[in-house]
Amino acid sequence: MNCHECLSELATGSLRDLTPDSAVMLHCVTCPYCGPLATALRDREYNAATVLNNLPPTSSPITVAETAAMVSRRRRLGKVAVFLTGAALVATFWISLFTTGLGRSVIGGGASSGPETETIPLSCLSPEKAAELVGPYLRSSGSSSKIYHVDKSRVAAITIHGTPHEIAQSSAVIQQFETNPNACQRPSIAEQIRQMQEELRKAGMDQPIPEPAPVSASTPVQAPAPVAAPAKTPGSRRE
Amino acid sequence: MLAHAGAMPTQPYISPAMSRNRFRREKHRASETENVVAYHDRSSYALDAQLASLASAGDDAAFTTLVTRFQRAVFRWALTFGRDPDEAEDIAQEVFVRAHRQIGNYRSDGPLEAWLYRITRRTATQIRRTRKRRGRLALTPAARPARDVYTTDPGGRVDRERAATVIRELFSALPQRQREVFDLVDLQGLSPAEVAARTGMKPVSVRTNLFKARKAIRDSLLASHPAYQDLWR
Repeated sequence: MNCHECLSELATGSLRDLTPDSAVMLHCVTCPYCGPLATALRDREYNAATVLNNLPPTSSPITVAETAAMVSRRRRLGKVAVFLTGAALVATFWISLFTTGLGRSVIGGGASSGPETETIPLSCLSPEKAAELVGPYLRSSGSSSKIYHVDKSRVAAITIHGTPHEIAQSSAVIQQFETNPNACQRPSIAEQIRQMQEELRKAGMDQPIPEPAPVSASTPVQAPAPVAAPAKTPGSRRE
Repeated sequence: MLAHAGAMPTQPYISPAMSRNRFRREKHRASETENVVAYHDRSSYALDAQLASLASAGDDAAFTTLVTRFQRAVFRWALTFGRDPDEAEDIAQEVFVRAHRQIGNYRSDGPLEAWLYRITRRTATQIRRTRKRRGRLALTPAARPARDVYTTDPGGRVDRERAATVIRELFSALPQRQREVFDLVDLQGLSPAEVAARTGMKPVSVRTNLFKARKAIRDSLLASHPAYQDLWR
């Protein structure tokens, strides 16, 4: 055995199993470097084993056992207390969720949180007025709510698209003003007729209807003139 | 050394320290057999199982007997995992607290020693993790409380300081697996197969960790050999 083999054995082998007649120890007898190394290694490990294996614990076993039992029981009680506290906390949370208004809104909001569309009939307010009233309630930040009101066909209703909360708020506002006669400024019948005439005039049908001539009994009835091609007069569109 | 080698060329080299060590080793083995439970005996298993059963039923005397039987072994294992004997004492105390709580979970199909060893290992790991976390959070390192042994037993103090030095020198640079395997095999004298059974590692892993640990521990001494640099080149 040479020094390399000896070092390799000393580096990773068991020093406990080295017997005096082993190859490593026979080499160590003759080698001036490996011998002291082997001795130093064995001394160090044996001293470490002696120091560690013979060091007694300072605490008495009875004290250790009593302390362990006491601490263990205390921890067991603590665990039960923590479990009960946690259970009470969870129960309180669920009860509050089902009994308070906030909890109900949270649960209800979770069930139907999507937007809805609803048409609210109007008896007093005009659709334009109703739209002006509910507009601020629907135009909150980030809201996708809209108002669809039928203007031209004069149907007395307003259609709202928004969350249930917004729709409920809007219909409450509309109902409040529907019952207030001062708030209702719907045009009278005469006003409506005037508006219709205005629209007809705009559409080119603004000529008044000619009134028929008075018919008397003394006037002989003339034979009707032969039908001739009517002369076209500018501006008369009615046939 | 040259003169020594020349004087006894045919005799195996046995230094005076080695012969002293052999004597110590035999003496130590004799003392070990007195203190540590011999687990090759089946009646010992049965006794432990009976004591564990009584302790789980609430018998404090049985638990005290168990602590008396295993306190030294648990403290010895804790020395491997801790930084010094004081920390080992804390670990041992915590191990018995957990053993008292979990003694009902002990199944008698294996030795109680192995069950306690697993608890020791787990406890030591958790305590080290907790201390590391607290050390990171604390602004100043916490002062260690003085133990009674330092004031009442000067010899004990010296022994504990020596043990702390040994732990620092041998184990401080090693990972936990290597430190554990080296201690069990080379310092406590268990075979790799026994270590594998106790720690739950594969025998191959035990041997690998053991070789790595030995090399790391012995490197500093072996580096003084002139041929050492050529060997690992």
